[in-house]
Amino acid sequence: MAVPTIQTVCGVGCGSSLMLRMNVEKIAKANGYEIRAFCGDVGTCCANECDVIFISKELGERIEGRAKVPIVEFDNFMNKAEVEEKTLAYLESFAAEHGDA
Amino acid sequence: MSDSIARDCVRTGVRAGTWQDAIRLAAAPLVERGSIEESYVDRMISSVDELGPYIALMPGFALAHAAPGEDVHVSDLSVALFDDEIFFGSDNDPVRVVMCLACVDRESHIARLQTVAEKLLDDTFVGRMVACASEQQLYELVNA
Repeated sequence: MAVPTIQTVCGVGCGSSLMLRMNVEKIAKANGYEIRAFCGDVGTCCANECDVIFISKELGERIEGRAKVPIVEFDNFMNKAEVEEKTLAYLESFAAEHGDA
Repeated sequence: MSDSIARDCVRTGVRAGTWQDAIRLAAAPLVERGSIEESYVDRMISSVDELGPYIALMPGFALAHAAPGEDVHVSDLSVALFDDEIFFGSDNDPVRVVMCLACVDRESHIARLQTVAEKLLDDTFVGRMVACASEQQLYELVNA
């Protein structure tokens, strides 16, 4: 089964991106998805290998057009409902694309 | 398990005026105990200038941080509860609680931050921090 690699991105790659990464990992686990996740910073994230970039709306504008992978933007990294909705939507689409029922 | 945030890194009853001063005041205990240099504080402020107020992570709460660097000696966390309202220019204004995070690398602080992050995922947590009447009460809440 294909496992998506998610890069969570903030300005410096070790504070809010880590909060988002932990939320995403928790949601994936609770819903039975296996994922890989790591943190990145807005300056270098486009050079890192991953399947998708999770980023705040404000910073998302800075990488539009440069990212080689889909971008999912968040209004609030700590909003449980928003993070859950967008994470599950991505994981479902990834699973569909990779032929996992 | 050791505290997520040390007793002397918890401040209440602080007044700032500006978001820059709020970050300086919240970070002061980390400078005093030698975890960070003053230049790390400047970097936290300039990262907001440069990248925007996304550090205001949720209504009433901001997590100030900058990239790891030589001016961070020990990965550490501090928190300050302000008497006045701080404006970062974010949808999550006004902010009353500012946490400062310093990391020597991108991984070593994860366990401590995780404990705090799990609390922050509870929507009522910022409100409960704001309601703390003393430093001791806030200290106990963040380390509960």
